Formats: sequence, structure tokens, C-alpha cells
Amino acid sequence: MTRNDDVVLAVRDVTKSFGGLEIMKGVNLDLCRGERHALLGPNGAGKSTMFNLISGEFPPTSGTIELQGRVISGMSPEAINRAGLARSFQITNLFARLSALENIRIGVMARHGIRFNLLRRVSRMKSINAESMQLLERVRLGHRADTPAGDMTYSEQRSLEIGMTLATGADVILLDEPTAGMSREETAYIVDLIREVTTDKTLIMVEHDMSVVFGLCDRISVLVYGKILATGTPDEIRNNREVQEAYLGEEAA
Amino acid sequence: MRYKLPLIALLLIALVAVPPLFGGGVQYALVNALIASLFAAAFNLLMGQGGMLSFGHAAYFGIGAFAVLHLMQAVEYGYMGVPTVLLPLAGGLAGLIGGLFAGYFATMRAGVYFSLVTLALAELLFSLAPHWEGIFGGEAGLSSMRMPWLGFNFGTTLEVYYLTLVWVVLCLAVLYAYTLTPFGRLTQALRDNSQRIRYMGYNAHTTKVVVFAISTTFAGIAGGLMAMSNETANYSIFSTHISAEVVLYTFVGGSTVFFGPIIGASIFTLFGFVVSGATNAWLLYQGLIFVLVMLFAPKGIGGLIQAHIDQRHRLPWARLPLPYAVLAGGGVFMSLAVVFFIQSFEHVLSNRYQAVVARTGEWPDYHLFGASWDPLSPVTWLVPLILFVPGVIIVRKAAARIHEMWEGQGADVEKSEAAPATSGGH
Repeated sequence: MTRNDDVVLAVRDVTKSFGGLEIMKGVNLDLCRGERHALLGPNGAGKSTMFNLISGEFPPTSGTIELQGRVISGMSPEAINRAGLARSFQITNLFARLSALENIRIGVMARHGIRFNLLRRVSRMKSINAESMQLLERVRLGHRADTPAGDMTYSEQRSLEIGMTLATGADVILLDEPTAGMSREETAYIVDLIREVTTDKTLIMVEHDMSVVFGLCDRISVLVYGKILATGTPDEIRNNREVQEAYLGEEAA
Repeated sequence: MRYKLPLIALLLIALVAVPPLFGGGVQYALVNALIASLFAAAFNLLMGQGGMLSFGHAAYFGIGAFAVLHLMQAVEYGYMGVPTVLLPLAGGLAGLIGGLFAGYFATMRAGVYFSLVTLALAELLFSLAPHWEGIFGGEAGLSSMRMPWLGFNFGTTLEVYYLTLVWVVLCLAVLYAYTLTPFGRLTQALRDNSQRIRYMGYNAHTTKVVVFAISTTFAGIAGGLMAMSNETANYSIFSTHISAEVVLYTFVGGSTVFFGPIIGASIFTLFGFVVSGATNAWLLYQGLIFVLVMLFAPKGIGGLIQAHIDQRHRLPWARLPLPYAVLAGGGVFMSLAVVFFIQSFEHVLSNRYQAVVARTGEWPDYHLFGASWDPLSPVTWLVPLILFVPGVIIVRKAAARIHEMWEGQGADVEKSEAAPATSGGH
């Protein structure tokens, strides 16, 4: 189904145990270049654990994760980010006292390798600031540039969260429930935004809202009790009996 | 920010021109205020900018002081030729090395655990120092003398003051510039969310160690200036008291504003200079002020000033002075009552007074505020009560009025949370 050279993120037989409890029981997943992939699954299925494994929060117990052909499992979050993968968080996770622009700029600085620079004024770094502003406008927050992130509305913070994830220039983007806690209208808005800003990226997102997933994503993987039950196009997933029983059926009932 | 530069220029001119008008005692107090300001600003780089509350910054202040004393001794005995004006650099270097080492371990943990590790490291030094005579000079400590340089012999307090002033102003300028650099911004991001920066490509641990070490470098310079000014130091410089004092300065001054800790350190040092001569209870007063500020203006003095600057276009300036003056007046009433109470106790409970009581069986009158008071007369204790009760009423009324004015201006209510004293006033 997938041509190997097109796989940007490969999860191979990954298991993860906490104490004696095996949360991930041998997960395999291929992410193709440019696709939008959704990770579905009931609560406790291991979706967050999966994201934490991929992004380096903790290493897998066994198995490997490869990013663009390079093994990233066991690397630190910052090293994985530099290798070209960025994630957002389910719970809003920003720099609350910094302005919206600065939240983005921290990422843009990292992208350009500006980490321990103590000799320049950040306000005079024209290209960094221009790039940050451009990105802020892409997530439609240009008018809020000077507002402290902590003072913004929840949906604005979610947009900013996406902007920060893009800011480090990663090609592979992990979004953890980007529409969590949003109204229908806000969800539609953010889905539209995600579609727009991930055009030439590879996206994998955790999402609960079926309509979001079916409308936005090219492929879906269903995770149940630490195993991938099925991977396929939205139509394939919709018509998969196992999936219906394990997950969708419950919702339909 | 147009008002900032002229204000700083004015302050600098005052700092240069005014001290010669005073005697050595005041000049010495000013030297200490300058050093405390630098120490607090260095501490706040870690606390206010980096979000790491160190309870053991005396360690780096002390290391800096001892490094400078060793260098001064080497110069004094002719082993080396380092100009006196450059001595504090040794303090900075010692602070840097100490900070890199301690910071590497302390920053492995965050929050309370970080604070406790810093506290433990400082305590360790405090208990070891008297025994390591070669380094810290035993219980007596180290002493040396400032050597003349280019015609300055640094013999007078005024000369020491100017040398300290130059160093402190330069260091504060560097610390301020720091906040404007990319790494300075990263430091604040670290404070807000040390987890997130890891997912944006930064090594959080390394970043924390660097911030820690920069903070301890400047703390070391401050300690070095102290050693240069006093020409001596002993292990007591590592005591918890010194570590706690800088926390106090920073919180009372306000950690969210760059100049806050400097304001806090200056006020408290000069307060100590004035009040410690008048009463033994001055540390009690210092503690009271700290508690009051934390309760009614948690962002400190600097936070209050910043709130006024932020809201300058919305505040009804013409109508503010009256309630502010009333608030201050009520505050004076309350303060007088509290001071009367505390000072009366200090008199009556003193060993000397109690000895008289034990010998004669009588409670003689004592003198306070230019009058005689009978400790057994109810009238004596009615005085503070009569001052205190109206004071409280006045303060509450004025605070409610001020609160109204802050709230009443426009819909932007959120920001008025920082309004002065008002939250306690209803």
C-alpha cells in the first residue's frame, strides 16, 4: 500500500511497559510523505503514549521509530525536534507571559540555530522577526502579536499552539487533539486552519471528533488497547467491521 | 519608554553627585545598597527571568568574596600585579565555576526540589567553610588590603563607593541587556514552560545550567565587591540569612520587573542602616514589611510602579492623589501604633528593665516618642489602640476608593488586579 521511499515516519513493533503494565503491545505504523493521518481510539487506547514515544518524552521498551530513515527512538525531545518532528499538546502548553509573537519566535530562533546568543538584540533580528510575524499571520493571529499568550482566548491559544508547532520548521507535525474543548464553529475554524497550514507537511493527529477526522485526513489508524486495529482510508475504516465493533459501533449505538 | 532614559540619567547624576555631601557612614551604607542591588538583580535573573527560586545564593556571593580576598592577598604580598579596580572579576569567575558545578546538579530538578538542593549546597558550604582554613581562613576568615592603583589609593569610603558604583552600574547594564537578547527571551520561555522548549529544539537542562551560571557569576561579582569594600570576610557570609535576605529584597521589590529587586535591595539596606541604629527589633520590622507587601501587593513595589505605568492612559491622575494621601495617612497611623506597641515591649521586656523590676518589685515608667509611659496604666495601651483602629478604617476606605478608580476605568478589568493595596481593602 505504501511505497517505502515515501515513508517519513516508521513505527516498528513498538512496545511500551510501565511497571508490569504493557500499554503499547507491538505497534506498526507508516506515515507517508505529505499525508494527513489520524489516530483514533477509545480512551486509554494508548494514543497519548504513542505521541509521547514518537516525540521522545520516553523511549520505547522495544521496537524502533524512524524519522526520514533515521532511528529516533531513544533520542531526547530536542534532538527529535531538530531531526524534523514537532508536536503540539492536548492541554494548552504555551509561554503564558510572553507575547503571541514571542511564543512563535522561540521556535523560529531554534529553527535558525539561535540558542545561546547573548550578543544581539532580538528586536533587531529582522529576518527572525519577519518570519515569526509571517507565521503568526498564517495562524491568523497577526492582530494579537503583542498580547501575552496567557491573556488570549482558548481558541486563539489553540491556534497559537499550532503556530508554535510549525515554528521550528519540522516536516512531520504531531497534533494532539487540536480541537479538544472547542465548540462546533471553533472546531470548523481550526480544522480549516490545520488544512491550510499543513499543506506541504506530513501530519498525524489524535482526534475524537469523527467529522473532523473523516473530512480532513487521508488515512486513519485505529488504536485499541495498545495495538493498531486497522489502517486505511476514511471509507475503509468506516466499513471495517472490527473497527465498528471496537469503537465506532459504540458511538453509533 | 521615553521617560526611562532621562530618569536613569538623573539617577546616575544623583548617585555620583550626592554621596560626597554625606559622611563615611552614609557612604558605607550606600556601598552596601549598591552591592545588595547587584546581588538581587543577579538572583532575579534566575528567579524572575528563569523561574528558578534559589534558597542558597549566599554560596556564590560568598565564593566570589573569598576569591577576591585571595587575589587581594596575592597582590598585597606581591605575588601578582592585578589592579584593584579589576579585583571583582575574580569574584565573577569563582561564581561562574561554582554555578556551573552546582547548577548542573540543582537544575536536574525543578520547583521545590530545585530550591532545596540550592539550600543544601549553601548549607554544606556554610558548615564546611570554618574547617577549611586554607581556603576560608577558619572562623576568623580572611583579611587583606586594597592596593593603590594609578594614583587612587582606595583608602576612603568615597573612593570605594565610586569604584563599586562603576562596577554595579556596568553589571546592571549587562544584566538588562541580557533580557533583550535571544537567550534572554529563551530564559523567559524557560520560566513559563520548561517542558515546551524541549519540544522546540532546546536542551532545557543545558539552558538552565547556563542561566544558573550567569546568575551566580554576577552574584560572585557582588560578593567580590563586598570583600573589596570590607577587606575581610568569614564563613558567616554563607549563612542562610544572606540567602534569605536576597529573596526578601527581590520579592518586596518585585520579581516581575527588572528594576524591582534593585528597588527592594536599596530600600531594605538603607532601612536597615537607619532603623538598626534605633531599635533591636529592626529585623522584625523588615519581616513585617515583607509580609504586608506579600499580602497586599504580591508583585512588590516594582509591580505597583509597573501597574501605574501600564495603566497610565486610563488612570484618573487628577483624582488619585487625594485617596493615595489618605491611604498613606491611615498607614502612618497604623504604623505608629505598631511601632509604639513593639517598642514598648522591647523596653519592658529588656533585661535591664526586668532587672529593675526584679530588684524593686516595681514597674517604672519608660521613655518613648519623647514622653514617659507607665507600663501598668491602661492609658498607655489605649494609645496604640486609638491610633490603630481609625488607621484601619481610613486605610480600608481609601483602598476601596482607589480600587473603584482602578476598576472604573474602561472594561480592561483584568489588568487592574495589580492595583495597589486594593485587593485587601474590601
